[in-house]
This record gives sequence, structure tokens and C-alpha cells, in this order.
Amino acid sequence: MRYNSVYLLNRIGFSLVTLFVAATLNFLLPRLMGGDPASALASDKALGSQQVADALKAQFGLDNPSLLYQYGQYLKQLLHGNLGISYANYPSPVIDVIGKALPWTLGTVLTATLLSYLVGWLIGIRGAWKSGSFFDQSTLFSAFFLNSVPFFWIAIIFIMIFSFYLGWFPLGQAVDPTYGAMSAMEKVRSVLYHAILPVFTLIIASLAGHILVLRNNLMRVLSEDYMLLAKAKGLKASRRKYAYGARNALLPSFTGLMTSLGHVIGGAITTEIVFSYPGVGLVTFNAILNHDYPLIQGAFLCIAVSVIVCNLIADLLYPLIDPRVALG
Amino acid sequence: MTILRRAAGAIRTAFPGAKGMIGLAILLAFTAIALLGSLLAPYPKNYIEFEPWLAPSMHHWLGTDSYGQDVLSQMIYGTRTSFWVGVIAGLITTVIGVAVGIISGFKGGWVEEALMRVVDLLLIIPTLALMIILASFLPSMGVTSTILIIGCLSWLYMARSIRSQTMAERQSGYVEAARMVGMKDTEIMFREILPNIVPVILANLVLVTTQAVLAEAGLSFLGLGDPTNVSWGTILALANANNAVLFHAWWWILPPGLAIALFCFGFILIGNGILEKYRANRGNAAL
Repeated sequence: MRYNSVYLLNRIGFSLVTLFVAATLNFLLPRLMGGDPASALASDKALGSQQVADALKAQFGLDNPSLLYQYGQYLKQLLHGNLGISYANYPSPVIDVIGKALPWTLGTVLTATLLSYLVGWLIGIRGAWKSGSFFDQSTLFSAFFLNSVPFFWIAIIFIMIFSFYLGWFPLGQAVDPTYGAMSAMEKVRSVLYHAILPVFTLIIASLAGHILVLRNNLMRVLSEDYMLLAKAKGLKASRRKYAYGARNALLPSFTGLMTSLGHVIGGAITTEIVFSYPGVGLVTFNAILNHDYPLIQGAFLCIAVSVIVCNLIADLLYPLIDPRVALG
Repeated sequence: MTILRRAAGAIRTAFPGAKGMIGLAILLAFTAIALLGSLLAPYPKNYIEFEPWLAPSMHHWLGTDSYGQDVLSQMIYGTRTSFWVGVIAGLITTVIGVAVGIISGFKGGWVEEALMRVVDLLLIIPTLALMIILASFLPSMGVTSTILIIGCLSWLYMARSIRSQTMAERQSGYVEAARMVGMKDTEIMFREILPNIVPVILANLVLVTTQAVLAEAGLSFLGLGDPTNVSWGTILALANANNAVLFHAWWWILPPGLAIALFCFGFILIGNGILEKYRANRGNAAL
């Protein structure tokens, strides 16, 4: 493996700039929308305590009218992990509420993204290999259909079928009510059992893009000369299909895997509401219901940071799969 | 007669192939429902005087919900919101996407570099998260603010696609000729290149419109829509909040999702029809 330093610096620098932009948007957008930052972050009515509100206002520089000063204080507090105090979960700091929720979201979203990619890859390959076949036509049709329905609708339908009518899975939540009294093995079983349907929903809902991209990639690869040569050499069909075709079709779609992550997280926000799954999406939904502005902003930052970090990891893994990116 | 024949010819060019015609038929049906909503709906909007949880019957084709509202009537009124949000937000997105795409693709140099860097940065942050933070800090949400928020945040992919198409056009002879005659840059971009990439723009317009419909549904589902209005998204949000699943009320859950799917499907069919014809004409597969 050869990492070249220009590539490394470029990707890390880009991620840092993106982080900075996300933080700045988080500061600017609410103000642009005409929201009052002082009452949004430190409303004594919402917090129920004048002292706490005043202390927060001082921390975030909201007692000073200068926007630049406020921005500086905001960045300073951000670096200390201070995102304010959640109104609805008083006196928990926003960072704690989100820290509890994030593992649930990341666990389901990452698992679903990888599995969806794998399944989409297999379906796309099969479709492209026999393009025009019944299998190809029907998967294409399903992909277009899945592309045009909301994630949360699929979630409701799955709950109706698999949890309510068939009774295979729980109706919601991430663990059993008796979770606290369980042994370690039972806890693992409970978590996995509750995660199956949400993950399955995310897989199905994000499958369409992968199928279409991989099918198109493989169609292009199949018309290459080396595919004809492989056939002329008399190689077995399965070898041509996987070792020649699928392998080369995989590379250009890796960037698609990265961009799909943001899409899946967006879908997970609404899916978690349907499953009452205690991740960042459900936290965001409750924060919106309760007008818990510090928590809404915190959730935004958390989503943005997770996607940026995952993208950086994917960027750093990319040269392992395709050394050319880090060399050029 | 000639006018009719010309109109038929124009429709055939804009919506090529059988797929395109089916897509057009679907969209015309939705347009009719959106425009004639109050005439078609059997009962007034938000009328809550019926018995709750009624299964579909002759009186209520799609049953009633937990509030005693006729689901079919709500669906018909909801069509109007979803339709206009999709169409107008889609148009806003297209205007921004085309402008950014053509300018960066044609100008090149630092203009392109700067614009595409901004696009790359924003592409990473999930659009729904940006929409949430904008919508939740607005003092009040109406259909107009929904349209503006969706329209102004969805142009990133489109700008990229238009840019690469413009870069291909820039090499063509007619652009060179226009330069020779001494046309200004803005004239070349919007009077010469723009008409030549109309099919690509249309195909993108179709995509962003479906995305706008889905975004509206998502925002409404999160409680960030206009609370006094009804859309396919708010119907689903209410169904979920009132545990429609536990009351076996499939008639409340299936129609909004299927309506969204059918609407988007119509657009996708048209978009694919346009692209296929464009590719066949130009022999250009890299779109």
C-alpha cells in the first residue's frame, strides 16, 4: 500500500474545511431564519432557571451584541464540546443526549449501508449479465419504485406486515423493557433482535441506487475488449462474471458508497421515528416537537460530523482498493 | 388542425416513447386532481364529523381516520400541496442548478474551481439535516417557505450534471463559431449552449421534482410542514402518530405512499424517455 502525502493532506484538509463549514452553518442558519439566538439557546422560560440561562448567555457571548464575538465564543464552546443544555431533558447537556443516541444510529446506518451495497452489487451484476431478462426487468422496475417512495413509508409497511400481522419482530424500541435486569448474552440478543427490522428497512430503502449504479457500471465493463478476450480464451462464465466483470465494475461505484451514506442517514432520521428507535433521528423529532432548539442544532452538528468522519475514513480506505487514486 | 398536429408533434418530442407517454398520462391525471381538487373531493377539507376508523365502503372509498376525516378527501386535497411543492421547488432548483452548472462549465478556471468546491462541501452534509435546521428556526412554516427551503437546497447534483454537459458542449464547433462572431459570454452560455442541452435539463428537472416531493413528505413527517395544510406527508405523519397500524387501518397508510410513488414514477418515466432519445440522437453515453 502506498499513501502519498499530497492525497492524505488533501483529504484531511477537505474534511477539516467541511467540519468548519458545517459548524458555521449551524451558527448562521438559525440567525438568518430570524430566530433569536438568545431565546433559542438560553431561554429562562424553557430552562426554568434564570441563573442557568444567564450563565449560558455569558458562555456563548449572547450578552454581547457583536456577531463576530458571538461566533468566536460559539467556536470556543464547540471545541470544548459544549453545545448548550437541552430544554426537554433539563439539566442534561445536549452533548450527553446526543452521545447516548449516536451509537444506535451509527450502528444501524453503517450496517445497513454496507449490506445494501453488497446486495445491490449482487443484484446489479446478475441483472447486467443477463440484461433484458425477466430478472433484470423486474429488479429495474423495483429499483425505480423504491427510488420513489419515502423511507418512512417502507418502515410503516414493514412494521405492519412483519411486526403486527406476522409477529416476527417487536413493534419498536431498541431493547426489551426488562433490559436492565438481563445478562450480557440476553442483552446482546435483545439489541440484535430489535435492530433487525430497522436495518432491513434501511437496506431495502437504499437498495435502488446501488442496483442502478452497479448495473450501469457492469454494462460498460462488459463491452470492454478484455471481456471479449476472456471469452476467447475460453474462461468459465462464472470467472468472467465475477473475477473480470464484477471486480472492475466495483471500483467506480466506491465513491457512490460514500455519498450514499448521507442519504441513508437522512432516511434513518424518519425511519427511527416509525420504530421509536432511540437514535439521533428520534432525538431530532422530539426536539422539534418540544421546540428544543439547542438540541436541534446539536443533532444537526452530530449528523454532519458523523458523515464527514465516515467520508474521511472511506477516502483513506479507497487507495487500498484502487492504488491509482493516491498516486495521481 | 395544423395547430393540433404541431402540438402533437411537440408532445412527441418532449415525451418520447411509450414510457414517456405513460408518464405524461400519470402526470396529467395528478395535475387534474391538483387543479380540480375541491370539485372532486366528496367531502370538505378537514371535515371531522364522521365515525373514526371506518373501513373502506361505498360512502368512504378509502375509509376514515382516527379523527373521523374521510381519507379520500384528504388525499385529494393533499395532492394539491404535494404537487405544487414538487413542481415549483423543482423549478427553483433547476434555475439555480442550470445557472451554476453552465457558468462553471463554460467559464472554467477559478470560477469553476470555486463553485465546484462549494458544491463538494455542501454535498457531504445531508440535505435533510440542513432543511431541518432551516425549517425549525423559521418563526412559522407555510407552503411558501417549504418550497423555498427545498428549492434552494437541492441543486447540487444538478449543477454537477449540467456542468459536465456544458464542458462537452464547449468543445463544439458552434460555440467556437459564436466566439468568432464576437458574441458575449453570457449570450453564448444562455442563447447558444442552453438550448442544446435542454433534454439534459429536462431529465434533471424530472429528477429534482421527485426529490422535492419526497423532501416535502419527509419534512411534513417530521412535523416541519404547514400545520393547517394537508399533504401526503402530513397524512402519513398523522397515521403514524395515531398508531394506524394497531387499528389495522391500512387504508390510511397505503394510499399516501402509493400516491407519492406513482407521482414520482410518472416523472421518472418521462425523464428516462427524454434521456434515451437524447443519447440515441447524440451517441453520448456519458450522462
